[in-house]
Amino acid sequence: MTQPRALDNIRVVDFSWVRAGPWATRWLGAFGAEVIKIEWPESERGRLPSTTTPQHLESNLNTSGNFNDTNVNKKSLSLNVRSARGLEIVKRLIAISDIVIENFSSRVLRNWGLGYEELCRIKPDIVYVSMSGYGHTGRNHHYTTFGPVAQAVSGLTHLSGLPDQPPAGWGWSYMDDTGGLYGVMCALSGLYHRNMTGRGQHIDLSQMVASIPLNGPALLDVTVNGRGSQRAGFPPGNRAHWPGTPLLNNYRGPTVAPHNAYRTHPGGYNDWCVIVCHSDDEWQRLVQVMGTPAWAAAEKFATVAGRLEHQEEMDAQIEAWTITEDKYSLTERCQAAGIRALPVQSAEDRVEHDPQLRERQMYLPLEHPALGCHKVQNAPFRLSQTPASNHRSSPLIGEHTRDIIEGLLGYSHEELRSGFADGTFWPTKRARFPYQEEMLQ
Amino acid sequence: MTDAPGPMAGLRVLELADEKGQFCGKLLGDLGADVVKIEPPGGEACRRIGPFVDDIPHPERSLSFWYYNTSKRGITLNVDTADGRGLFAQLAATADVVLETCCPGYLPSLGLDYASLRERNARLVMCSLTPFGQTGPWRDYLSSDLLHMAAGGEMASSGYDAADLPDAPPIAPGGGNAWHTGCHYAAIAIMAALVHRTVSGQGQYIDASIHEACALTTEAAIASYIYRGEVLRRQTGRHHAAGVTPRTQFRAKDGTYVCALLGGRLTPKFVRELADLLDTYGMAGDLRDPKYQDQAVITENTSHIVDDLVASFIASLPAEEVYHAAQERGFTWGAVRAPEALLDDAHLRDRGFWKQVEHPELGRSVTYPGEAAVYSDSPWRIARRAPLIGEHNAEIFCGELGLSLGALSILAENGVI
Repeated sequence: MTQPRALDNIRVVDFSWVRAGPWATRWLGAFGAEVIKIEWPESERGRLPSTTTPQHLESNLNTSGNFNDTNVNKKSLSLNVRSARGLEIVKRLIAISDIVIENFSSRVLRNWGLGYEELCRIKPDIVYVSMSGYGHTGRNHHYTTFGPVAQAVSGLTHLSGLPDQPPAGWGWSYMDDTGGLYGVMCALSGLYHRNMTGRGQHIDLSQMVASIPLNGPALLDVTVNGRGSQRAGFPPGNRAHWPGTPLLNNYRGPTVAPHNAYRTHPGGYNDWCVIVCHSDDEWQRLVQVMGTPAWAAAEKFATVAGRLEHQEEMDAQIEAWTITEDKYSLTERCQAAGIRALPVQSAEDRVEHDPQLRERQMYLPLEHPALGCHKVQNAPFRLSQTPASNHRSSPLIGEHTRDIIEGLLGYSHEELRSGFADGTFWPTKRARFPYQEEMLQ
Repeated sequence: MTDAPGPMAGLRVLELADEKGQFCGKLLGDLGADVVKIEPPGGEACRRIGPFVDDIPHPERSLSFWYYNTSKRGITLNVDTADGRGLFAQLAATADVVLETCCPGYLPSLGLDYASLRERNARLVMCSLTPFGQTGPWRDYLSSDLLHMAAGGEMASSGYDAADLPDAPPIAPGGGNAWHTGCHYAAIAIMAALVHRTVSGQGQYIDASIHEACALTTEAAIASYIYRGEVLRRQTGRHHAAGVTPRTQFRAKDGTYVCALLGGRLTPKFVRELADLLDTYGMAGDLRDPKYQDQAVITENTSHIVDDLVASFIASLPAEEVYHAAQERGFTWGAVRAPEALLDDAHLRDRGFWKQVEHPELGRSVTYPGEAAVYSDSPWRIARRAPLIGEHNAEIFCGELGLSLGALSILAENGVI
């Protein structure tokens, strides 16, 4: 007997592209929903352009590594929704589905004739999650985002960096990852509500707006205390406070020192560890692990106020010690003594060297027909009865067109062939992949 | 509409959580669940985190605690005592969800593990959200937001170009986002278990790891390594990449910055549109020269277009003006705003984003950031301000569990509540 899945018998019509939407539907698939990705090669964004195609492979629609990791657990239907026939087909699919999800800009689905009112006519209890940049209402609904723009406009970028320097920001689209997670929350809470009440709804998620509540305490500091974040010493890099600036909380947790990143042996690009002491006791334990050096016995370092004030000197001394040791052995020694320390880890470190992620099987291999066998990122949670898992590699584009058109929707094989001939299932002038030729046999 | 119950209405969540899990409880509470926060007598340690109202430190004045605990009710309970354990088990017997962030092994040592709680409540969903999960060599390691940003890979991707700031350290973006990330994934896992329960009638146990959640949250960094063996470099204010990419962050006239994405987009069509945008302010320079309709010429002149023309254009205007002018013309650009700038945003006003939350003790309401998404049938909304310490002790222990007020006093005197 196969293990039950949390979303057994749930079908998702997935119009999403690029990253945030696909990252959302990845998790619906991992929970067992049947996720059907609607794709069209002429307007595809996510498979191409690819910067993650293995060096030995041609870059094409089926060879992006990041697309594979982002789109595991899904099926692909290639369909021209902007044709009358394609629209009719997708409506038949929606009629037997539970969730419609997309991350286009605000008017796209409506312009296709698939606005929420129309979706309701097709499937009255549909859960429709739109994941646009600015939402479907509000004067700037037509503005567009990528992760970095949502992060900039919402205040997230401003949180990151060293004082008196330009923002360092986030080195990736944090709000594509996190925007995707909000998409999952919207879909699951909408589904829960539907199961309890019988009613579907439109959930209008905005990537930019979803970023703002991640600045909560900073915003209350504005609305309650009138204190903004454009101020001396903010943001304080990796510290909880920048010495020589007003003593204010910086919205990461308690204001303590040490609280910084330190270079480790042998001094390479990612040879750093972070050390944080939340109390005088933790500081004294660190002093012991460092071998009770004379400098650390100074009265000025005995209290958190003193350590905050004299961070420059203290951090330089700590780094003179950390530079002598490898970041993993430092971590082990500190943690064994009850000190908060962990290594800065690159992607290579996480995949190859992190003993915890290895033990927890964070990266498990999965076979892909064009890419071969590669590790895929696993779920960060274990559900005892309905585990989330990566049970299917990402689909080749249009890989499941025949299964869905004939098997699920009940069209004849002749109709499939005519749909390929008239450009409904694939652009007539575009070369077909061998698996598409096969499905026409 | 705004009075309608949220999507998670009717659910009772017991939250035994600190800074690691309080945001998850807020998400569930703002989505309509009845979240009962269980604090130790005297209040949870997060009440000691600033900033404080008017900078006066007090456990009822922490803005951080206020923010992360909206829509919850609050009780105090010392589960280290036998009476406390009994009351917790009684509450769990009728709860839908237990969310806990205790050290692995702690609740089992009190007889409050999932198997025991499930005996009285087969529908219970219990989520343990901990730094590293319930197993593995790092299970008992200490952590903090900064530590998770280091080990999770966030820091390895964020920082400065060597040309901007030689020898800069990797930078951990602020704001407590390691906790947010763990809470996002925990909320998803809990919701999936609840959806499943609507069909199966059965609860389950969830072991969620903040480290794994953070390790998952660096976009293509892992795929770049797995598929190409690349370890990415940090670049000021923009994406990590294997090599140095064109800059995207430009200083505006008012000293703040604009995020203007150009790299990889400089096609003849894009350059024409860019010329139109810059020309509105008479700053197009030579960008209208027909030579720029040749891709090779554009590529050759990328530095001139980016570092001279676009940089000068942005330097001549306030960041907000560049942002709106560019977006109106279809450019995916944005102003790099400090949080305080959001209060004036007209789009957010149109969406009714800012919420007034009553704080009767202050005699006024306070403006809070609202919802990520607008639900048409079951609103995501803040139901109430964060609870005071033990505010709902009588309501829950007496009103729901049937204790007398006398019994409540004895529990207080004995350090149970």
